[in-house]
This record gives sequence, structure tokens and C-alpha cells, in this order.
Amino acid sequence: MIEMLNYPFMQRAFAAGLIIAILAAISGSFIVLRRYSLLSETLAHVSLVGVSVGLLVGSNPLWMAIAASLVASWMIEYLRSVHHLYSDSILAIFLSGSLALAIIIVSLAGSFNASLFSYLFGSILSVTNEDLVIMAITGTVGMALLLLFFKELYFIAFDEEVARASGIRVAALNFMLVSVIAVIIALSIRVVGTLLIGALMVIPPVAAIRFGMGFFKTMFLSIALALASVVIGLSASFFFSLPSGAAIVLCLLLFFIAALVINLP
Amino acid sequence: MKFSPSLFEFHNVSLTRQDNEILKSVNCTVLKGEYCAIIGPNGGGKTTLVRLLMGLDKPTSGMIKLFGVEQSKFKAWHKIGYVPQRSALVDANFPATVREVVAMGRYAIRGLFSFESAEDRRIIEESMEQMGVTDLRDRLIGHLSGGQRQRVMIARALASHPQVLIVDEPNTGVDVESQHRFYELLRLLHKSRGISILFITHDVGVIAQDISKLFFVNQTLLVSQTPQEIVGCESISRLYGNPSHVLTHNH
Repeated sequence: MIEMLNYPFMQRAFAAGLIIAILAAISGSFIVLRRYSLLSETLAHVSLVGVSVGLLVGSNPLWMAIAASLVASWMIEYLRSVHHLYSDSILAIFLSGSLALAIIIVSLAGSFNASLFSYLFGSILSVTNEDLVIMAITGTVGMALLLLFFKELYFIAFDEEVARASGIRVAALNFMLVSVIAVIIALSIRVVGTLLIGALMVIPPVAAIRFGMGFFKTMFLSIALALASVVIGLSASFFFSLPSGAAIVLCLLLFFIAALVINLP
Repeated sequence: MKFSPSLFEFHNVSLTRQDNEILKSVNCTVLKGEYCAIIGPNGGGKTTLVRLLMGLDKPTSGMIKLFGVEQSKFKAWHKIGYVPQRSALVDANFPATVREVVAMGRYAIRGLFSFESAEDRRIIEESMEQMGVTDLRDRLIGHLSGGQRQRVMIARALASHPQVLIVDEPNTGVDVESQHRFYELLRLLHKSRGISILFITHDVGVIAQDISKLFFVNQTLLVSQTPQEIVGCESISRLYGNPSHVLTHNH
């Protein structure tokens, strides 16, 4: 089994997958607790606009996906916090709108459907060295920000109003969190794809919460489930020639079902 | 900076939302060591008054000072322990133990990327001990009764070592026995630790013997300086819009 790591493409796949698993599980815990799970799906669809533009103009789609996702995350947070629009409505608008825009760009260009397909469903086995460097750099920055403000983000997730009344700069931290999530999602689409990234962010924390533990233990279990899913999913993908993103997500689903069964009321 | 014994000062504070006057020219002062109650009809602006104080809402006009400092320049929020109205309503599955919730009271004091110091741990233990929730430390907050959650929220507020505790209608959905214990705890905190209390309630009768100042809020604000004025106060009738009086009682 270990011989699969002799292949450079599998080494890159594992490195990218493990980076994304840790980042997605940590940031996912915050959005799940804030009932904001659809944010990951929405930003993934927005990333697709960036990917389409990147493929159209011939620049690295990953950078374009990060830019598109970041701008959209700021607009969503601005509309939510300043204009007090309903969060789910804003997300629904951005989700549909960005998908429509991506389809128009794709249909106008019409020549990169195969490449786009890999971004829709993930193609971790074709992660390049450049992709890996981008993931490592931006992932490290994202991780540093999440760890730096970890306790404040937890307080906000628990009680935003009291956190604000305690002098915590809630508005700034909310913008920071959505920015980090935007970057993580844009990075993740290479690993699990636009249509599946929501699962990598949402299922590990939801499954971990079923065990009824405190936040820090829940977070560690969530990271462990995400890492295990990536390792098992990638291995299954290698040995059984399965699409990597779908294999990872199915593995997450199995963990979720197991968590439900183990913790039946 | 000039020393000021006042904790909070409202100077002509008004709040208007979409042409509705929520609060009109509020002037009041809360001094160090006072035990104040805020009463008034539903929708009269009690919670809004506290939200303005905590900077959660912005006044349309007027000025608020906290510890003698203009609110916009005030930084020492840890000096104020705030327990909002619906704080005991916690999602049953939220992954937070009692100890983790109480520890949140130290977050604003600790620096970025810092771990709990020995002092943090001591204060967290002390706060849990004081509110009698030490035995519940590893239980999920959502699995506790209303009264237990309420004590945990107060313990969290105490963990920041506040000089004043603001509690907004804490007894909503809490049984009578827990309410009684709660009033005792507030009395103890006020007397033994010298913490000032600002307390929004519908049940002023039960704390009538403790309070040193009573605020009546119904768009405008009237202040009663002595407990003796409270019982049978005509101002209450005027504010509530029908004949009212206060019964002192003990649950």
C-alpha cells in the first residue's frame, strides 16, 4: 500500500489533501456552529467563476478562483452585517448568480470543458507543483490567522452579542473569517471540486458534534475525521481508479453515518 | 483624566428608529457600589437602554460615558460583566462545556495567540466555585437546566473580574427555586465583592430591599433614588399607563 507514495503525483495529492483537510475542518467548525454552512457551497460556486475566467484568459485558475472567492466573501459579509439581509437569501443569490456567470463564460469560450470538469469534481491526482506551493503559502497564512484568533472566533460562534460587548472586534473578525474560508475553498476545489467542497467543510464538524464533547475535543475529532477521509479516499481512488473528490466525500459520509449510529439517542 | 466615581452616565441620549422614538432624552448616572434595577413595560426600551450602554446600538443623539470615559474611546470592557436576556437559551448540541464557557470571560483580557495563564485558570475556577457550577465543569452547557445555565453565564461574566454586572431579565424560563438562589447570589456579589449591579427585571418586588436606585423606562426615564419611593410610587402608574404598585415579597 505504501508503494503508492513512490509516485510523485500521489505525494502531491496527499500533501494537498492533508493541507486542505486540516484547514477545512477548522474553518468548517466555525461556519457550522454559526449556521452558515451554505457559505462553503456558495463560495465554491463563486470560485468556479474565477476558474472559468482563468481558463479563458490563460492565467492560473487557482489564483483567479482565490480572487473571485475573496471578493464575493467580502460582499456577502458586507450585505449581511451592514444591510442586515438574511444570510441564507444572500447566499442563495450569490450561489445561483455565480453559477449563471460561470456557465455564460464557459459557453462563450466553449473550448475548455475538460479542464473545467476537473474543477467541478476535483482532480487531486493532477495537482501540480505550482498548485502545491500556492496551497502551502496561502494555507499557512490562513492557518496562522485561524490559530491567532481561535478563541475570539469561538466566542463569536457561541454568542456574538456578548463577544462584541466584551470588546472583541466582531465585525473585523467576521470579515477575516470569511476571507480565510474563501481562500481555503478556492484552494480546495482542486482537491474535491466545486460541487463537493461543502462536504469536506461541513461533514467532519457535524459528525464530531454528535459525540457531545467540548469545543476543543470536537475540533480535534473533526480534523481527525477529515484527515482520515482524505487518506482513505485517496487510497481508494488510487487502487480502484475512482474519482478522488467523490471517494473522499463518500468516506466522510460513512464517518457521518457511523457517528449518527454510535450516538443514537 | 479626572477621577469619577460614576460607572455610567447618559447625557440626553435619544434613539429613533424609522421615525419611532425608542428612547427620548435619557439622563441618568450609575455610581460605583450601587445596586440598580430597571423596570418598565414590554417594549418600553429597557433592553435598548442596556444595549446602548454596551455599544451594541448607537444613539441617535446624546453622549454615554463609561467609567468617566466617552464610550467611543472606552477600551476596558472587561470591567463590565454583561449577561443578556436570552443568554440561557443555548442550542442543546453546541459543543461547549461549562468550563469552556466560563473561560470565555477571560478571552478579551488575554492577548492574541495566548494560552491560559495560571492566573486565568485560578480566576476561572474561582468564578465557577462562586456560582456553584464547579461540579458541572465537563457537562455541555446545552444539557443543563435553565437555572444552571444562568449561573454559568454569570460565572463567565465574573471571570473578567468586572466592577459592574449588567443582567437583563435573567429569570425568563427559570423555576422559582433557581430564581430565589439567583437573587441571593446577586446580593452576595454586591455585598461581599462590592460589585455594582444593574438589573433589568419585571419582578422588582423581590429585590426591593436590596436596590439603591430604580429606573423606570418607558421611552423616557425616571429615577427613584430610595427604595421607600418605590412602593406605591405614582410614577410607575404614570409610566405603565394604568394604576400600578410594587409588592415587596420573597419567593
